[in-house]
Amino acid sequence: MSKVLAVILAGGQGERLSLLSEKRAKPAVPFAGKYRIIDFALSNCVNSGIYDLAILTQYRPHSLNDHIGIGKPWDLDRRQGGVHLLQPYVGREDADWYQGTADAVYQNLTFIMESRADYVLVLAGDHIYRMDYRPMIDFHQQRRADATLGAVVVPIEEGHRFGILDTDMEGRVVTFEEKPAKPKGTLGSMGIYVFDRNTLARVLLEDARLDGNASQHDFGRNIIPNMLARHERVFAYPFTGYWQDVGTIQSYWEAHMELLDDHPAFDLYDPSWVIHTLSEERPPAHVHDGCQVTQSLISHGCRIRGRVERSVLSPGVVVEEGAEVRDSIILFDTVIGAGSVVDRSILDKEVVVGKNCRIGYGDDMTPNKQEPGRLNTGITLVGKRSHLPDDLTVGRNCKIGTDLRPQDFTTDTLESGDSVEDRSHGHGWERDLARRAPAKSSA
Amino acid sequence: MSKVLAVILAGGRGEQLSVLTEQRGEAAVPFAGKYRIIDFALSNCVNSDIYNVAVITQYQPHSLKTHIGIGKPWDLDRRQGGIRLLEPYIGRGDTGWQKGTADAVYQNLDFIMESRADYVLVLAGDHIYRMDYRPMIAFHQQRRADVTLGAVVVRLQEGHRFGILETDAAGQVMSFEEKPAKPKGTLGSMGIYVFDRDTLARVLMEDAGIDDNSELPSRHDFGRNIIPGMLTRGEKVFAYPFTGYWQDVGTVQSYWEAHMGLLQDHPAFDLYDPSWVIHTLSEERPPAYVSEGCHVSQSLISHGCVIKGQVERSVLSPGVIVEEGAVVRDSVVLFSTVIGAGSVVDRAILDKEVVVGKSCRIGYGDAGPNKREPDWLDTGITLVGKRSHLPDNLTVGRNCKIGTDVRPEDFATNSLASGETVENRAFEHGWERDFAVGLPATS
Repeated sequence: MSKVLAVILAGGQGERLSLLSEKRAKPAVPFAGKYRIIDFALSNCVNSGIYDLAILTQYRPHSLNDHIGIGKPWDLDRRQGGVHLLQPYVGREDADWYQGTADAVYQNLTFIMESRADYVLVLAGDHIYRMDYRPMIDFHQQRRADATLGAVVVPIEEGHRFGILDTDMEGRVVTFEEKPAKPKGTLGSMGIYVFDRNTLARVLLEDARLDGNASQHDFGRNIIPNMLARHERVFAYPFTGYWQDVGTIQSYWEAHMELLDDHPAFDLYDPSWVIHTLSEERPPAHVHDGCQVTQSLISHGCRIRGRVERSVLSPGVVVEEGAEVRDSIILFDTVIGAGSVVDRSILDKEVVVGKNCRIGYGDDMTPNKQEPGRLNTGITLVGKRSHLPDDLTVGRNCKIGTDLRPQDFTTDTLESGDSVEDRSHGHGWERDLARRAPAKSSA
Repeated sequence: MSKVLAVILAGGRGEQLSVLTEQRGEAAVPFAGKYRIIDFALSNCVNSDIYNVAVITQYQPHSLKTHIGIGKPWDLDRRQGGIRLLEPYIGRGDTGWQKGTADAVYQNLDFIMESRADYVLVLAGDHIYRMDYRPMIAFHQQRRADVTLGAVVVRLQEGHRFGILETDAAGQVMSFEEKPAKPKGTLGSMGIYVFDRDTLARVLMEDAGIDDNSELPSRHDFGRNIIPGMLTRGEKVFAYPFTGYWQDVGTVQSYWEAHMGLLQDHPAFDLYDPSWVIHTLSEERPPAYVSEGCHVSQSLISHGCVIKGQVERSVLSPGVIVEEGAVVRDSVVLFSTVIGAGSVVDRAILDKEVVVGKSCRIGYGDAGPNKREPDWLDTGITLVGKRSHLPDNLTVGRNCKIGTDVRPEDFATNSLASGETVENRAFEHGWERDFAVGLPATS
């Protein structure tokens, strides 16, 4: 059997996820309650029998490093192969921060060549999908392709976010346009590629010689178009299963809501394709007397005394008496105070919502004034570890930053589109030090 | 610091747990949804910084061995120390099946002596409790005791199930009576002991030397023989008073009650305490899905559950499915059991992988003790054994026992009166039946 090395690109910032990727890389953003986005690519690898993985990180890698560790949850703690986290490093010559996806792989070419893999599978670490990579690698072999890219049908109005391509009957790519303003078709690149190892090395070396004006060192923008220009054999493998780019707040929220359908498109419960993750040890969820839970995903360690409707709760979420959570995503260990109502919101980890708050309130859909391009669909965001004071009302499309404290709120009402941020301190602990409070709060 | 070896007695059959211990030892019986009973003793050990643990098995050890493995969930997969499973073996001398708790330890005395532990902590693998063993060991050292036993206050009417003891003001045991018909007090032995290693070896060798044909034969039991023998010889036996949560779940009623206790608004045993995590082997399963229009209250819900019906005052292990219109009340439902549409399960314990057909009533009508096991199935709880499949429209009364691997054709009628028992008598194992009827072994 041929040896395959999977290289997962996990260095991206995911700016469009706003607050969720402020303190962590996009692949480390939680998803579906207990998972992180990268778990899906990782689990696809091991479920496809691929046990050689390299994960390329750059932007805020700590969450990701903690999460992956030595790869135990995925059975990737191995002597032969296993998972390697590759971070930017300083070498003798031209090493630097990664310039683009292709440059990230290029800077780790030594590792890839030494792996002695026959094929290199380049994956994006920020998609939610269920895919067996073996048929794609077979397809690549059968077509004797120089590169094979995964392709899915995307909605035409979303086409401008993808590489859009055209193929002939055999699947050979005839045209490819990265993020076209006016897409000519609906077949989009998934941003995943199979290369023969030596072909990959050749195209990356060629690309690396081009300066910053001639190439952005990106697979979609440069490597694939240049291979096509040279008439190399670039094929598209048609993928028809579940695949979702959750790169925007709206698509992240929608992908969660889809999990709550009676027969969801992505079946997390399929025993033949288990999604593995680093699970903390927590007791079963406790649903108390007289509360109401419906159409929701509930994780271990949750304690529910209020109402939960159409929401996804990560491990350890507490919903106090009389509180209501609707159409929302609540991440790890967040507490919703008694009598508070959270509607159509995404609350990051360890948020504390005081009593009788209204988060996501009213009919005013004014887009966020700071990020109108990203926060305009009515979803309100609250950043990691922020504490919201009792009786606070927050409208739609609001953005409440990371590590805020009740005293940062000058009023008890935030209009739709408003933001609150702590601009004076980069980190929560800096603020705590500044206030001469112990770094670990007593709470 | 002194070195402590914990020896967990996990060989017991736990006959009074009826069908729950037909195919596994008591220590491996599931508890509180995702745990096994032995997890509590194991977690107490590691939370007390005891990382040398031996588990002595004998009766149906397979579940236990699969569960414990190399001890990863408890961080007991270590080079130095860690966990050892000690199973019955054949040696040169007079080895044989373990005759009693003391004999079980005696047969593994080589291992204990070679461990070079200063103290040996003998634990029962079948209690649910939260205990830091360090104060008890310190107490043992301070008193310069030959042996220290853990003691709790038990209910007078339960006294006949325990060793009942009396102490002086310093805690020295003055009298000890194992399972007295008429208990004189309410201070009961927890069946856990601290010995200096050499003292343990001495008393076990003395006990082993007692001839079975002698006037006063020994049952080689700590409570019946070792402790009374030491008291007779005037050795220093102390009782360490324990006041925390401790529950012997050795009967169907106490097992059920302990579960119901977890559902209180402020349960006596706090599974959620981050300073005393109970560790277990967790399977990777997605969050629980609670669908639209269903009702969940006062219940513990584990990962992988899919709830489309009603769940009240019940504990659901991972992977339990409650179909549309089904009702589960006052019940304990173990791993991956399916409750068919429209069925009602009331005050019942359903073992793993049971399939309840549609429109069944399990636990129905008036109570009358089980005819075969009147001594321990008389409190109205109905039991269904592992992997049994119940046909559609079946009605089962109270105190009924449905055995392991029962199939729809084993039911002569569609109505079982209270106190009745149905067993699969034709085949000892489910797979034998499957062979006999020409089905694949894993249908």
